[in-house]
Amino acid sequence: MLNLAFTGFFVALLLAGLRRPFLWVLCYLYIDIVAPQIISWGFLSVIPTSLIAFVAAFGGWLALDGKEGTRFTWRQGVMLALLAYCAMTTLRADYPLPALEKWGWVWKALVFAIFLPLTLRTRLRIEAAALVMVLAASALIIDGGIKTALGGGGYGTLRIFVENNTGLYEGSILSCVAIAIIPIILWLARHSTIFPSDWRVWTFAVALIFACCLIPVGTQARTGLVCLAALCILYLRTARHRVLILAGMTLAAFAAIPFLPQSFVARMNTIENHEADQSAGTRLGVWKWTWDYARENPLGGGFEAYLSSRVEYDTVVRETTGELTTVRREHVVEKGRAYHSSYFEMLGEQGYPGLFLWLLLQASGLWQMEALRRRYRTQSAPEVAWVAPLANALQLSQVSYLVGSLFVGIAFQPFILMVIGLQCGLWSYLARVGTPQVKGDRAKPRARVERKMKVRPLT
Amino acid sequence: MVDIFALALSHGLIALAVWRLLQRPDLDREGEPPAPRRAPRGQGMRVPGLVAEPQSEEDAHTPPPGAPGA
Repeated sequence: MLNLAFTGFFVALLLAGLRRPFLWVLCYLYIDIVAPQIISWGFLSVIPTSLIAFVAAFGGWLALDGKEGTRFTWRQGVMLALLAYCAMTTLRADYPLPALEKWGWVWKALVFAIFLPLTLRTRLRIEAAALVMVLAASALIIDGGIKTALGGGGYGTLRIFVENNTGLYEGSILSCVAIAIIPIILWLARHSTIFPSDWRVWTFAVALIFACCLIPVGTQARTGLVCLAALCILYLRTARHRVLILAGMTLAAFAAIPFLPQSFVARMNTIENHEADQSAGTRLGVWKWTWDYARENPLGGGFEAYLSSRVEYDTVVRETTGELTTVRREHVVEKGRAYHSSYFEMLGEQGYPGLFLWLLLQASGLWQMEALRRRYRTQSAPEVAWVAPLANALQLSQVSYLVGSLFVGIAFQPFILMVIGLQCGLWSYLARVGTPQVKGDRAKPRARVERKMKVRPLT
Repeated sequence: MVDIFALALSHGLIALAVWRLLQRPDLDREGEPPAPRRAPRGQGMRVPGLVAEPQSEEDAHTPPPGAPGA
């Protein structure tokens, strides 16, 4: 029955694309995020669903869709350069076969992120892409959220649909993505034209945000908690009623503590007391190893270069019984441990050039979204009132991801690359429709700023 | 049961979004008038002959006879 439903849904999306080819792009977003071929064990698991959706999306755009206003932004160029560089490191990788395996999904994610902005020619398309990304991720988040609320979950044990550890089905990655989409959910609830803001939309949005917050609890991934804390602090930067929101957040945090599972509290305590934690010790050890490795291999060792890592460290455990404190030191040796950080993942696998390109891609996104936010924040006309909040949401989402990236190796996470694709699409769209009315004017600085704020009507 | 609920809710909403997108001309081209919305209950009834509705876009812009510029 489930197989039939999945197959029917996929076919319906493909048929809908016959009328509006852009819907095939949304179909690919859905397939890539939910991965129904993993959940389903029937027809979809034997056909290359992802490939079909990509060919439909690309072919539809190439053959049937309009191209007016389509621009290739320089950030897409950065992604293209990163793709070419990754191809080069894959050819001379330390571990050719595992590297080829990772390359197999990285190139697809990068190519789609480069392609996505070309299709985002209208405001509605940008909104539709954001909506489908959120709704597709919501399938996993609602499932994980409800199971956590019902008492399920645990580190590496929260089962979302199936026993799987790939893509968003991995606890730490889902935890990071769930927190990163909260600003986009809020933007959609306020500014969506597909589901205009009303009590039903807000009910769903609030429930989904609550489920997002439950994911770090359910997966017991400390990354999610750190992302959430970073997001809360950053949200205050642009919030209107800062004191009220801060008070609300503090109250919610204290109110939530008694309801948190004991195992979650114990695991979160290791953030503070990291010396006793083997996972934290591994991270620090691998990061040191990667730093040394990059000095010897400045151009990177290709994908999965961490397989040659060897990490030695001591864990210190303090046990207090009455007035007596026992300090126990254990020497741990580990081999082939993953990077546990996107920054070190890039440094080890792609070397300094790859890390530079990746950082450029991320930093330019933060800068572009900040520029858009500042330029449009005073615009209240309905045609552009959505711009500054969306730029802010995409920026917060990215910052949240960058914070999570400190502790998880998700440098090429397809979902985040889609967010970058959205940023490029938004930037390109506004460069086309929101050009200042007066250019090159040498008037007084204040007058010039005011003119810069003016945008051409979208109609 | 939870799995089915999560899948049904998310997929139902995606399906509804796609259905609404199919009705929106501004998905592909901006500047076109949005699709006519269904009038709220009680306001949608029209008595034939009582209000002369424009038959075409040209009619809609044509001033009535006697008006300035007609």
